Amino acid sequence: MFLKILFSYLLGYIRITVEGYYIERFINICKSKHITIWNLKRNKDICLYLNVRISEFKNLRDVAKKTKCKIKIKNKKGMPFLLHKYKKRKIFGILLILIAFFIWLSSNFVWNVDIIEENGNELVNIRQDLENVGLRTGNLKSKIDKKQIINKIRLERKDIAWIGIELKGTNAIVKIVKSDEKPDIIDENEYCSIISNKAGIITKINAQSGTANVKVGDTVKEGDTLINGWMEGKFTGIRYVHAKGEIEAKVWYTRNKKILYNATEKEETGSTENKYEIKFNNFKINLYKKLSKFEIYDTIEAENKIRVFSDFYLPISIVKRTNKELKESKRRYTLEEAKNKGIEELQNDLDNEIEDKNSIVNKNINTYERRRWSRYFCYV
Amino acid sequence: MKKKKQNRIDKILELPQEVYTNVPKVVITGFDEMIIENFKGILEYEEFFVQVKTHIGIININGYGLTLENMTNDDIKVKGKIESIEIERTVDEN
Repeated sequence: MFLKILFSYLLGYIRITVEGYYIERFINICKSKHITIWNLKRNKDICLYLNVRISEFKNLRDVAKKTKCKIKIKNKKGMPFLLHKYKKRKIFGILLILIAFFIWLSSNFVWNVDIIEENGNELVNIRQDLENVGLRTGNLKSKIDKKQIINKIRLERKDIAWIGIELKGTNAIVKIVKSDEKPDIIDENEYCSIISNKAGIITKINAQSGTANVKVGDTVKEGDTLINGWMEGKFTGIRYVHAKGEIEAKVWYTRNKKILYNATEKEETGSTENKYEIKFNNFKINLYKKLSKFEIYDTIEAENKIRVFSDFYLPISIVKRTNKELKESKRRYTLEEAKNKGIEELQNDLDNEIEDKNSIVNKNINTYERRRWSRYFCYV
Repeated sequence: MKKKKQNRIDKILELPQEVYTNVPKVVITGFDEMIIENFKGILEYEEFFVQVKTHIGIININGYGLTLENMTNDDIKVKGKIESIEIERTVDEN
């Protein structure tokens, strides 16, 4: 029954009032003539409200004539009446068709190029190269020849091990695996010397080819020659070789830092405000032109591409700018606090720099105190 | 004789009675909704009183704001605040 009513909405139905003395007879005749009527409601007077399909209304009128009832149409519902209403609004219909056409048209283009790099290895200028080869936003999907693009880009770039292009909706997903770089092949025939790149004290030197220029315990500066690229024999004379060898040295890393007792720190207050911007490719429209109400703030931008369906991106994006209010607060460090902070920061810096932490021989920390700041040195 | 035979087969098949006979089935859901299957016609319909004719008798429904929600060829749904239901048996002539 529910389905029947739903179906009759599509076909259209009317709500009518029936007035007369033989209403029961009217209902029974309707039943025997297989006219579906629903939502019958009897008013306090003699009239009866009921719904009937338009196709069966003609039959109903005959029944009403027979039972001497008066029929009045109260209101019309359903699709046929709705369509009839919009028949006069031609521009509306034309625009509806136009919109559908434009959606279909825009779904034929690539609006978004996603580049996924395996293992997070970033490739420099890959987007630029892809655009040069022919995969750029705004191209017709049918004109993109995946094989040709892959071939071209592999010819152009040496650092790609594998590349795959997948067209999904208006998205072009490019998957790239970066190849490992070739190790430098040492040309053994070319002669050269080994030169230090750091100052230090030599603890071990072992020249495999060439002659050692320094002894164990020597202090070397940056740029000093450690192993000379020639060999001297008694009979052969001077022979130039490719210097090779193992050298170990004590090297020190020095860092220093100044920490003020009176420092201003920036802290988030927690209050934020959002501003939106519409962006067509490179053309921006600000929706909110007022300046920020905060005095000091951080701005975070997030871009969201508009999409119609799951993979149907449009070349329009909404940029959301979040301004986070900051509060400057002055802070006074005591001597002890400043000391700890300085040492901690320096420790972090050095930890990042020195890879092999097991070979650290010793650490020196010096502090100098002044009235307004203290300086810390850290030696490793 | 024929009717009895039918009955026996139907008993074996466990068919519901209202399917093969004209016996009405009355379903009352809550106190606001009532479905009568296998009805013959409506004798009286007012806002406060509905009289439904079936093959074995008459059902009287008293209440407020009674509406006949949907009516098909053999079932009818009465909605509204139902107060009381009465049954009048038709006496067999033979």
